[in-house]
Amino acid sequence: MTRSSDPARPRRSTFAFPVRRENAALSRRSLLHSAVGALGLLALPFGVQAAEPAPLSPTALAFEGDALLIAGETFTRSGDGGAIQTSDPASNGGGVLALATHPDRPGRVVVGLATGGLAISQDGGRSWERPGGGLPDAPVAAVAVAAAEPDTLYASVQGDGLWQSEDAGQSWTFVMDRPWLAEAERDSLTLASVDLATGMGGIWIYAGTESGLTRVPDCFCRWQDVQPGDAMDALVSGDALPPEAPLPAGEPIRALASAPAAPETLYAALPSGIWASRDAGVVWSRAAEGDAAAVAVHPVDPNHVVAALDGDLRQSRDGGATWTAYAAE
Amino acid sequence: MRGVAIGLAGAGALAVVAWMATAQQPDGAVEGLTFAGEPVTAAEVALGQEIYAQSCASCHGADLEGQPDWRRRLEDGRMPAPPHDETGHTWHHADGQLFTITKQGVGAVVPGYESDMPAFGDSLTDAEIRATLAYIKSTWPERERAFQAEVTAKAEAGR
Ligand code: HEC
Repeated sequence: MTRSSDPARPRRSTFAFPVRRENAALSRRSLLHSAVGALGLLALPFGVQAAEPAPLSPTALAFEGDALLIAGETFTRSGDGGAIQTSDPASNGGGVLALATHPDRPGRVVVGLATGGLAISQDGGRSWERPGGGLPDAPVAAVAVAAAEPDTLYASVQGDGLWQSEDAGQSWTFVMDRPWLAEAERDSLTLASVDLATGMGGIWIYAGTESGLTRVPDCFCRWQDVQPGDAMDALVSGDALPPEAPLPAGEPIRALASAPAAPETLYAALPSGIWASRDAGVVWSRAAEGDAAAVAVHPVDPNHVVAALDGDLRQSRDGGATWTAYAAE
Repeated sequence: MRGVAIGLAGAGALAVVAWMATAQQPDGAVEGLTFAGEPVTAAEVALGQEIYAQSCASCHGADLEGQPDWRRRLEDGRMPAPPHDETGHTWHHADGQLFTITKQGVGAVVPGYESDMPAFGDSLTDAEIRATLAYIKSTWPERERAFQAEVTAKAEAGR
């Protein structure tokens, strides 16, 4: 294996967003050892790594079938019987901020680029094209594929808002301004299409921002808090409101994943850990402690979760109750 | 310019009224148009059109076209008034929700939501609100009307 295709090869950071774990060089290094080492790929002498700046921990994770996609300053695909491949979606060494796949479009991977715009692969991340007609040339911090319409894509353009493509990424239109939370417009750090009815003829798009969780119906009428489904009925009838346990306030939500096979099951990655909800985001509980950067859930098994936690890749097979080091199958 | 726009809107509305006159059922109900499951008459639609011009057009546009650049927030963080024609999202909401928003404001369907949409409960009767929304619905193309009828039917069934 040559140095240039070495997934562990640290690159100088060319983007300042999202800023994570500046003082965690050791953890980052341990990530490389666990991710790469566990895959049996290569073991660079420690001194070689230490001589160069340590890479950031992954900014995004996603499943593509049983393969795990790991994105950050490089794009890595692992699984497929233990094989591992890296590629450079931006074709300029710029990092990847966001990843999205859909179970009904095997091979298709959509990534948001730190250097602006997005890249799409049709072969599981081996080769990339750069469509995106109409998208402004700014970092794309979050991408999602509509759960019920796999050729509809969403992209959150930093400093701008939410864009939609209905032709698998070829052409884009602006559909919604950024959410307004805690008295300011907020960039979405992550988007998840959640296949649950809004009552407006469509489904929900959830967004994690630097100041909390919000959601918008896919008709884009307005950003709104997550409410228990029957909250309005309870208000009208005077019944007790259903219990709520929101995500901790004041923390950025760096990644959100809705299980395709059980959309009301959500996982979120926060600086305080991995959080899980079984009721579409009304009641949350912490599934793992640590500084979480990314989370992904398996397309078929809603209890199979992979997370970037304290710079390590961890996985759970029981919905977050127990965790082990991630190892490719 | 403005005169022209209003003139055109007026002509369009006349055409709508004329179409409705021909589509009327024996009892005065407009074919293919209901509100909350009940038939709507051409007289109601005409009344709704007047109320729309007086109470809604200043924000939502004489031609239901909404405020310019309505998908972008205003300086104060609030959203502009969206179109009520097929280019907006009004047709994604069930009749009951449109009624509640018009009577009590957007906060009545999204608790705590801040918006420039006034609540008309003090200035319009329920019948007038119904007529105004029936007029808005009467301008939608077939596809949007069918979509919204289904959304409304599902909401009613869930009640
Ligand atoms: C002072 C300006 C103003 C007037 C007058 C006004 N509206 Fe609005 N309306 C708004 C704004 C702004 C919104 C968007 C609210 C938001 O989402 O923040 C809105 C939203 C709505 C919505 C929700 C649309 C959707 O799809 O979400 C309905 C329905 C509505 N208005 C009906 C009416 C009707 C009917 C009238 C006249 C009786 C009226 N409005 C008059 C400003 C106005």
